[in-house]
Amino acid sequence: MENQKLIYHFTAIVGQEKMKNALILNAINPKLGGVLIRGEKGTAKSTAVRSLAALLPDIEVVADCKFGCNPHSKAQMCQECINRIDSGEDLPIKKTKTRVIELPVGSTEDRVVGTLDLEHAIKKGEKRFEPGILAEANRGILYVDEVNLLDDHIVDILLDSAAMGVNVVEREGVSYSHPAEFILIGTMNPEEGELRPQLLDRFGLCVHIQGIADLDQRVEVVKRRASYEQDPAGFHEAWIEEDERLQQAIVRAKGLLEHVTISDDILYLIARIAIDMNVDGHRADIMMMKASKTLAAFNGRSEVLKEDVQKAADMALQHRMRRKPFQKPGVEEGKLKGIISHAHSHTHEHAHTRPHKHSDAPPA
Amino acid sequence: MDWTTKDIYPFSAIVGQEKMTRALILNAICPSLGGLLIRGEKGTAKSTAVRALAAVLPEIEVVSVCPFNCDPHEHERLCPQCKARLNQGLDLHVRKRKTNVIDLPLGATEDMVLGSLDLEYAVKEGKRRFTPGLLASAHRGILYIDEINLLNDHIVDVILDAAGMGINIVEREGISYVHRAEFILIGTMNPEEGELRPQLLDRFGMCIQIEGIEDPDERVRLIKLRERFDRNSTDFIKAYQDRQNSLSQKIMRAKEQLPHITISDKMVQLCSILALDAFVAGHRADIVIRKTALAIACYEGRDEVTEHDVNEAADLVLLHRMRMPPPPPQHRHEEKERAQEEPPDDEKKKEKEKPETQNQQEAEVREDQEVEKKDQEESERSLSHIPMLEKVFPVGDAFKVKRIQTERDRTLRKGSGRRSRTRTSSKAGRYIMSTMERKTNDLALDATLRAAAPYQKRRSREDVAIAIEDSDIREKIREKRVGNFIVFVVDASGSMGAGKRMIETKGAILSLLVDAYQKRDKVAMVAFKGDRAEVLLPPTSSIELAHRLLEDLPTGGKTPLPHGISLGYQIIQSYFHKDPHIYPLLILVSDGKANVSQYGGKPLSEAMEMAEEIKNDTRVNTAVVDVEKPGLISFGLARQLSLQMGARYFKIEDLKADTLVEVLREDLLV
Repeated sequence: MENQKLIYHFTAIVGQEKMKNALILNAINPKLGGVLIRGEKGTAKSTAVRSLAALLPDIEVVADCKFGCNPHSKAQMCQECINRIDSGEDLPIKKTKTRVIELPVGSTEDRVVGTLDLEHAIKKGEKRFEPGILAEANRGILYVDEVNLLDDHIVDILLDSAAMGVNVVEREGVSYSHPAEFILIGTMNPEEGELRPQLLDRFGLCVHIQGIADLDQRVEVVKRRASYEQDPAGFHEAWIEEDERLQQAIVRAKGLLEHVTISDDILYLIARIAIDMNVDGHRADIMMMKASKTLAAFNGRSEVLKEDVQKAADMALQHRMRRKPFQKPGVEEGKLKGIISHAHSHTHEHAHTRPHKHSDAPPA
Repeated sequence: MDWTTKDIYPFSAIVGQEKMTRALILNAICPSLGGLLIRGEKGTAKSTAVRALAAVLPEIEVVSVCPFNCDPHEHERLCPQCKARLNQGLDLHVRKRKTNVIDLPLGATEDMVLGSLDLEYAVKEGKRRFTPGLLASAHRGILYIDEINLLNDHIVDVILDAAGMGINIVEREGISYVHRAEFILIGTMNPEEGELRPQLLDRFGMCIQIEGIEDPDERVRLIKLRERFDRNSTDFIKAYQDRQNSLSQKIMRAKEQLPHITISDKMVQLCSILALDAFVAGHRADIVIRKTALAIACYEGRDEVTEHDVNEAADLVLLHRMRMPPPPPQHRHEEKERAQEEPPDDEKKKEKEKPETQNQQEAEVREDQEVEKKDQEESERSLSHIPMLEKVFPVGDAFKVKRIQTERDRTLRKGSGRRSRTRTSSKAGRYIMSTMERKTNDLALDATLRAAAPYQKRRSREDVAIAIEDSDIREKIREKRVGNFIVFVVDASGSMGAGKRMIETKGAILSLLVDAYQKRDKVAMVAFKGDRAEVLLPPTSSIELAHRLLEDLPTGGKTPLPHGISLGYQIIQSYFHKDPHIYPLLILVSDGKANVSQYGGKPLSEAMEMAEEIKNDTRVNTAVVDVEKPGLISFGLARQLSLQMGARYFKIEDLKADTLVEVLREDLLV
């Protein structure tokens, strides 16, 4: 708890609503697949990510498992935990904070995926796996600052495990696999180079942020920072309540999330957006669906509205538009609004004139 | 990883992508089809489908304790251990289990793929024993490589060797071992990330290209199913269990039926006709089409192959084998290029590849065609470029710019799978194998331990299980993709504004930028005009930025050529400090005229001196693009400059053909 005071408070960050929103959505629904924050230097990117940890609800883990396995889901467990359950053991459970694990840009491959345990090998003459950063990040947040500067082969590894939720190690004499489900949060300054399209797509959402232009707000940024540096304890006092309120809102939204329904009209709207905006593949559709549901839950609603889709589309499409060479990534806002406002009559008509023949229900 | 215990999206719940699911099923029915390569944009359920396949694969019988997945019924082909058991009259302990899907992660090291020395056994017993790797586990199953185009070349070679022969021969760490490794190779890739090496492409029996679904109804269905799966995966999987089971049984039945199916001579003929029409190389295509047609008929429950089956089979088999009717004119260039591209540092590999050169060229032609198809789309897309360029150049020869770009594109694309690679001596990069050579102080712990292990019984050990001696030390061989570093030094003086020179020049640089983008090269740009040169773009891999700057680059004023050259060279020198492994290329775009000096001497002789200095620096490759308009009076200054610099020389006319890029590539690929 002591060092929590040292962290800047999430709610104390001035402006940058889009970024904060995207991070909160991921805190509510870890299945959103993370967020990529693009923006110039000094726009509170890293501050926001680090302070997010304090807002995340506690999770239950297998107390003595080095991967922090989920004791309630066998499908997400490491082999040791599965073996223990199968042998009839009751797994010890403890509550812990969700972790934010930082992946430094200069990380070596063995540090990321894990490696052969040197000490054990020499002392005992046995091979043992020494877990790496991906193991630590299991069920937490994996934060990569300057993700666009990451070495290509490290990116490949990230792609592999982010896609599967599993880290498969076949190197240095060790053959091992363990769960590695993490929320991938990356920040980057686009001026220093773009991200590879495949990695770009792995981020569920993407927001683009800029420095604040409003003078009053800029002054506020400086003031708050100064008070934080001069009197961290006082700052903590001043903002802790606000943080707690947000945390409660997140917990409420988490509970509401599974009750949120999404109508066919809205689903058709999502599909229409994806087709008209000419995105690659289907991840965009799925992300828009998930994000708009999460947004509805955060707003205390159990039904997804068009406005949710609009906000979700902005975040889910930002980095998925099929780019012409050299075109800046981004969403053509006008086009998006056009599709959405036009959608009402369209989907309405659609729903009536085209009976949905296909059965979504599985066979009896 | 045992995928059956994970919450995997059920195969039978995949929406659309019938071609892909069908191709996967056909490979499951007939393992000798030669595997499948799935190419497609991101987010099209490629990996989902392959991982889901495991659940519907038929069961096989294996010797339960055998790490090599021996087939208990084929006594002739058992591994030595199983054979020994059999000879001793022991029971083989037959067990039924699902076909394996073995994941090959991108970071895999050689020892794990091939198998290596059993460390623990060696320490305890002081004897060498083989411990099997991924190739052994994949025997009689599927070896799956996600993002196969990103896999390390060396590992690819190792896998290809085994896949070609169906056996894995291990000669390493004092171990000599041979075992069967017959597996179905399935790869998925997103072509945006670079192409696959032609030799590897050819190994796949089938290749399909998939895209996102356009139909809104289907898309909505897909989202809905996905939502239900996310909500409660266990229930979802349960709900699909019946469908999964019946699919699994259908595959099983087809597999059993396969030997009993017939194909008429007429249909066999059709296979060959289709192959001929596609101008394929060799006879492999005919054979695979025939086999695939048989598998399709089986799966459909028919006992005879129909014309429809053959056509469907041809569709799956021919995509990556098709060639253009007449050999394209630039074929000659390719041969030359190929000869130069053979990696000189790896003699062994070179030898291995030699018998395949023929294949490679054929494969390349095939690739050509695919690329050309893409080019058409590309050129349609690149139309939107024109207004952008027109804004900058009121003279706006739109057609020309576009042409340059597409033509260039074609050569570039082809090369995109072959980014320059190098064995690095620093500790960065991916660990692929180990060596006894001691150079880098980069300890390969696993290999060192394995080297030391067999001697432990004889060595004196205090408090440790393994005592390591100097002779055991092994070091890591790492590989890192080394981007090329291209520095453009561009003349932006008034004379460049004449005619269409600047348009053409910008068009050429733009084409090179596209190439750099795909290969993830770094670029920097220096322009000189008026009194001095300026670094427009510091070294970056953001090609977008470079492009924007290029667009805005104004033309006019005098020509400070010497300053331009020296500034370009400075950038390279300072970049060497940061990354000594980079391959720098300096491209000077100029007519060789100079009228502003840097140090107060004659501008032209200053430029020549600098050119000489660069020539003496062997690390730097150079090229001069002469933009002098051919006219009555020709000075040939750029030509002289290129000689002085030891640079490759071309005229601006060359920019319109593919030559520039080709030559540059020869220079760059070391």
